Amino acid sequence: MNEPIKLKAKDYKSSVKPIWCPGCGHFSVLNALTKAFAGLGIDKDDTVLVSGIGCSSRLPAYVDSYGFHGVHGRGLAIAQGLKVARPDLTVIAMGGDGDGFSIGGNHFLHACRRNVNMTYIAMDNEVYGMTKGQASPTTPADWDHSKLTPHGPGVRPFKPAALALASGAPWIARGYSGNPNQMARLIAAAIEHPGFSFVHVLSQCITFCPEQTDWKAVVHEREEEALVDADEAAQLFLHEDGFQTGVLYNAQRATWPPSVPEPQSTDITRGFSV
Amino acid sequence: MSTQPLADFLAHSVELESEARERYLELAESMAAHHNDAVSEFFLRMAEESRLHLEEVGGIAKDHDLPELKAWEFQWPDEESPETTSYEAVHYRMSLREAMLLALDNERAAEKFYASFARSSSDENTRKLAAQFAAEEASHAAQLVKKLGALPADSGQHLEEDDDPHMPE
Repeated sequence: MNEPIKLKAKDYKSSVKPIWCPGCGHFSVLNALTKAFAGLGIDKDDTVLVSGIGCSSRLPAYVDSYGFHGVHGRGLAIAQGLKVARPDLTVIAMGGDGDGFSIGGNHFLHACRRNVNMTYIAMDNEVYGMTKGQASPTTPADWDHSKLTPHGPGVRPFKPAALALASGAPWIARGYSGNPNQMARLIAAAIEHPGFSFVHVLSQCITFCPEQTDWKAVVHEREEEALVDADEAAQLFLHEDGFQTGVLYNAQRATWPPSVPEPQSTDITRGFSV
Repeated sequence: MSTQPLADFLAHSVELESEARERYLELAESMAAHHNDAVSEFFLRMAEESRLHLEEVGGIAKDHDLPELKAWEFQWPDEESPETTSYEAVHYRMSLREAMLLALDNERAAEKFYASFARSSSDENTRKLAAQFAAEEASHAAQLVKKLGALPADSGQHLEEDDDPHMPE
């Protein structure tokens, strides 16, 4: 019998070329994802990438697997439905900070709470890039680079990891687009986690937030094991600088839907008895 | 490194050249999409240089049983392989000179990487090969320095486009 051909990361890329700005962090996520697929030997035919709308949500088109470019903020809803209907598939939802935490914010909360066995990658560049640079839910309060918020949005930004933890997400990691090899390891671990895994990626937008090139100097890798205690994780996420990378929280929790035995014909008959 | 220094070294060399080529190609395509044709063409030429070096390294590596490493199992001095252009270092409005300076940094980083093996490997064959690769990278760097010298000075004005980012004046 012939050995299956081992695919390299580039074999997972489609023939569609990205139109992201040169230097965009999303290139790094694309490379990390395909490296993770190669590392795990993922079967393209059993993998589906689902996204919403925005620069980052273009990513499924650039990967040679099944993909669904959904409507704004609804990538998670589509992905959960798909995974529940086809638990045999590897399902990965993805999108940006606006798509995931604003337009799709409610879906994010409930996806964390529901704990369907799938992965969500949020590419956070703290800005709406596709519409040319407006403040998003993760934009710093004093970011005054947009004509729409010339004095900054003046609102505290979301802390995505804290939000995920409070909503019940059992597995939380953070990656950085300046380190695609570490991110590949995180994405591989997220895919292997039996439950909802949330990968928050600091993915720079060098066009609208050129100051994000400074992230390289402040990002630091977590040296300790991932936290398993939710109280400790809450303390971490509320007080950290937001630039810590690695698997930050890893708890086990029953996934949804619970496995229920198939009803037997006698059970159905009994249901109609009077 | 494992107990097979030469195989490990070659696995890293193949990955280094392969990643350099892939990144240059990716950057060339994205620069073309953003109408920075001069930089796009330069990155394409660098991708071709990397392909030639990859062929050379691959030709040597095919006679060895290389370890199958996952992307995160390679051991690089920094986050990525040394000849790979960092994403945050490029911009769609960058000039040809800036692109060439980046490429020069890459060549020098690769030379430094190979030179460290040439100095410190426990295996003589690895040291010899690493010294050869380091010399090749140094030669690429010297060629780039020469080309940079022949390039007219930057005007100081970066590429303009009709559809500017929506930023404050």
